[in-house]
Amino acid sequence: MRRFIEKSVEKVLMASGAITSLTILLIVVFLFRQGAGLFRNSVVEENYSLAVNKTNPVEKLTPEEIKNIFDREIVNWAQVGGLNEDISVFRLNDITSYVSEEALGEEMQFLSHHLSEIVDTHPHIIAFIPNEYIRKDFKGKVLDVGKITPSDFFAGKEWFPTAQPAPLFGLLPLLLGTLWVSFAAILFALPFGLAVAIYLAELASTRTRAVLKPVIELLAGIPSVIYGFFGLVVVVPLIQKTFDLPVGETALAGSVILAVMAMPTIITIAEDAIRTVPRATKEASLALGASQMQTIFKVILPYCVSGIMAAVVLGIGRAVGETMAVLMVTGNSAIIPTTLLEPVRTIPATIAAELGEAPTGGAHYEALFMLGVILFLITLFISILIEIISAKQIKQQQ
Amino acid sequence: MRQNIQKLGLIVLLGMSASGLFAQKIKGSDSVLPLAQKEAENYLKKNKQASVIITGGGSGVGISALIEGTTDVAMSSRKMKTEEKMKLRNAGKTPVETVIAWDALAVIVNPKNPVSKLTREQLEAIFTGKITNWQQVGGPNQKIVVYSRETSSGTYEFFKESILKNKNYMSSVLSMPATGAIIQSVSQTPGAIGYVGMAYLNKDVKALKISYDGKTYIEPSYANAKNKSYPVLRPLLLYYTKNNEQNVKPFIDYVLSAEGQRTVKEIGYIDTL
Amino acid sequence: MKNLKQQKQAAVFWILRIMTWLVVGILFWILGFLLVKGMGVLSWEFITTAPKNEMTSGGIFPAIVGTLCLVTGSMLVAFPIGVMSGIYLNEYARNGWTVRFIRIMTNNLSSIPSIVFGLFGMALFVNTLGFGDSILAGSLTLGLLVLPIVIRTTEESLKAIPDTFRNGSRALGASQLQTIYKVVLPIAFPNIMTGLILSIGRVSGETAPILFTVAAYFLPKLPTSIFDQVMALPYHLYVLATSGTDLEAARPMAYGTALVLILIVLLMNIIAGIIRSLTSKDYVK
Repeated sequence: MRRFIEKSVEKVLMASGAITSLTILLIVVFLFRQGAGLFRNSVVEENYSLAVNKTNPVEKLTPEEIKNIFDREIVNWAQVGGLNEDISVFRLNDITSYVSEEALGEEMQFLSHHLSEIVDTHPHIIAFIPNEYIRKDFKGKVLDVGKITPSDFFAGKEWFPTAQPAPLFGLLPLLLGTLWVSFAAILFALPFGLAVAIYLAELASTRTRAVLKPVIELLAGIPSVIYGFFGLVVVVPLIQKTFDLPVGETALAGSVILAVMAMPTIITIAEDAIRTVPRATKEASLALGASQMQTIFKVILPYCVSGIMAAVVLGIGRAVGETMAVLMVTGNSAIIPTTLLEPVRTIPATIAAELGEAPTGGAHYEALFMLGVILFLITLFISILIEIISAKQIKQQQ
Repeated sequence: MRQNIQKLGLIVLLGMSASGLFAQKIKGSDSVLPLAQKEAENYLKKNKQASVIITGGGSGVGISALIEGTTDVAMSSRKMKTEEKMKLRNAGKTPVETVIAWDALAVIVNPKNPVSKLTREQLEAIFTGKITNWQQVGGPNQKIVVYSRETSSGTYEFFKESILKNKNYMSSVLSMPATGAIIQSVSQTPGAIGYVGMAYLNKDVKALKISYDGKTYIEPSYANAKNKSYPVLRPLLLYYTKNNEQNVKPFIDYVLSAEGQRTVKEIGYIDTL
Repeated sequence: MKNLKQQKQAAVFWILRIMTWLVVGILFWILGFLLVKGMGVLSWEFITTAPKNEMTSGGIFPAIVGTLCLVTGSMLVAFPIGVMSGIYLNEYARNGWTVRFIRIMTNNLSSIPSIVFGLFGMALFVNTLGFGDSILAGSLTLGLLVLPIVIRTTEESLKAIPDTFRNGSRALGASQLQTIYKVVLPIAFPNIMTGLILSIGRVSGETAPILFTVAAYFLPKLPTSIFDQVMALPYHLYVLATSGTDLEAARPMAYGTALVLILIVLLMNIIAGIIRSLTSKDYVK
């Protein structure tokens, strides 16, 4: 009996040990399954089609072309490989300027007939109409726009998730925005982080250290929404005034906040790395007549460079996934960043801002899960990188 | 399979939910949010037994929640789209639409900005990125900073339909998660332009007069909205499903009552009376 | 010459010192700022009443209760599982590969961004399992989020106990289970508690995972079942900071909420720190 209890307790404990792995597995399954659904969606909004006149030679349009046609950026069929004629754009709401309300019938029963006629009699039209009104006898040509391709997503330069008729899910501005803000944050955080780590490990007295260390760790405990709030009311106006910018909500504001948030991580890891430097190495340097400063910069830092690398990489991992603080201070425009003084939109901020709005199961919803997949892959990559770095470190020390 | 899991979840849910009270969930448009919140506050004062949960997120969120059955009432600042109606019908539900107030969408700039009126065409050019400097519309030589709402909001869609004639915003607009944030930013940023519901107007920002015909410029005011001469006007709506009517009706009736409509006016929207 | 070198070194060390104090200064800047701005709002009324007048006055009671519910719920999920896996990793698992695998997975889990947990929680708990936006869905999501913290602290506190304790117990004829239950756990208990307390701090402050799993914008009634939505402090602060008709009028409320939130979180961190420093002297070394 007692053996049985012992055994079953062990099994229960083992099962709880497996829960983290199970969670990761579930996260992967759910994220990837929902995300991959994106590529099963048609380029044009669900249940809608694009139709042109039968005489129109154009067979295929890219999502960007569709958006530009409906935004009137492209106004001539020649620009998309057709005849040299002006494009006229038709949406369902425009129906009343072609036929009277009475002609549509009381319950719109003649709508599909009229749609068919309109497309047939206007040779340069492009019509965006619901599938349910396209009957078998439809006289126009329904364009085969195909499905959203991985290259539309991974190489797309524009993020217009609710554009009609063809939403654009371009990853690039968001991915570059995320990396831009994160790398800038680490550039700000690294000098400070290293300075603090060196000070704590080499210079500070035990008592100073005992006070400072927990205080710095408290920085890591502050919730990100508080950093965001602080950024919004203090850092953003400050940046706007200092640089005399039209807007304060910029990549810079985001990186400054992220730098503060990543600092405790960098400090802790870098300090640990500095502490692993063997006493003998330090003393050898000092014995050869090197000053303490020379020892720190010429011996200790080069010795623990891989530990510092690990700190940097972990810091970036921290910054990449940060949501609320960034959402509140970066202005969220989906443009490919070129300077730190302009607004950017990051992947986590996009998910947080848009997931609530996206109808469950739609292309937009799935695109956001795809963004989640990207985030997951970035952090996975970072974890692996850390493993490699620390494995190297152990080898080096042996 | 998924259906079964959901059923299981539902059974667990019914079994464990100890509360006998019906909590109405109201979800959706951020423009309706302050109104619904205030109405609920007053309604709860009178009906101590009732329970109302209000969440924002945008009109799209509210309507898709109504379709999924995760909310009882959807707040919306735009009419339901055809495909949304189709989805509801496919789920076997009939939507009921109630106009609880009207809202005039005001275009706002920083009070220091000398520009006080714009035509629809100029606005379209500004929001699609064709006009980028205030000089081009008779203002100072200053870059225009364009603020917009997040794509989920009914305000975003309504503005796109009404002012941009369905064209897309340029991609460098700053998207703000909520209207309050637009007011905040426009009041701090000299070259800013943005759009907000009339209820949000305050002294920190200046509302522009707008013209659709290029001749008459109309100011967003209660009177101009009430007589419908202001062009950027939209209904604020509550949607619920027919089968859920008896649960949500008391609250909606309260909102439509004289007292409820007084609140509408207090908040800064245009009453339906 | 040597003097110059020494001066240079002194200068550099001063720079390091100043940079360190700058970093520490940031913490006090944030704290001080919130304290100055938020102190005036804090009152008994503020923490015991519901928001009023479009959330520009009144208090944050429902948000405090909501956060308490989420903390309790997520700890019920994370604490038992976390402690049990910690025990398994340190006391039972002999196969190096299994331990290594679980440890890597736990590390990975802790590096997954919180917004991804939000996505996952929404897909699994809210939609697939049909819990809807509820305390249950939110607690499960948050519980998984802090699981690695509990596992790690448990494992570390068990590891700190010298094997002599275990061997002594086993030599007296106690079984492995008895040894863990009667000898190892009581000694490790205070340190395991730090994991719990740190997780509470973390859970109280997280916003991204609860956005789509539980948080309500306005809900003055207190929850009656685990299938209710609740307001929560961090989300309420986000709402106060960015939504509402009159942000300026809501600012005092936002400062007050931020202050309450940061006090809760820092208090948890400080308590954990104190426990750790008190117990670390006893048997380690």
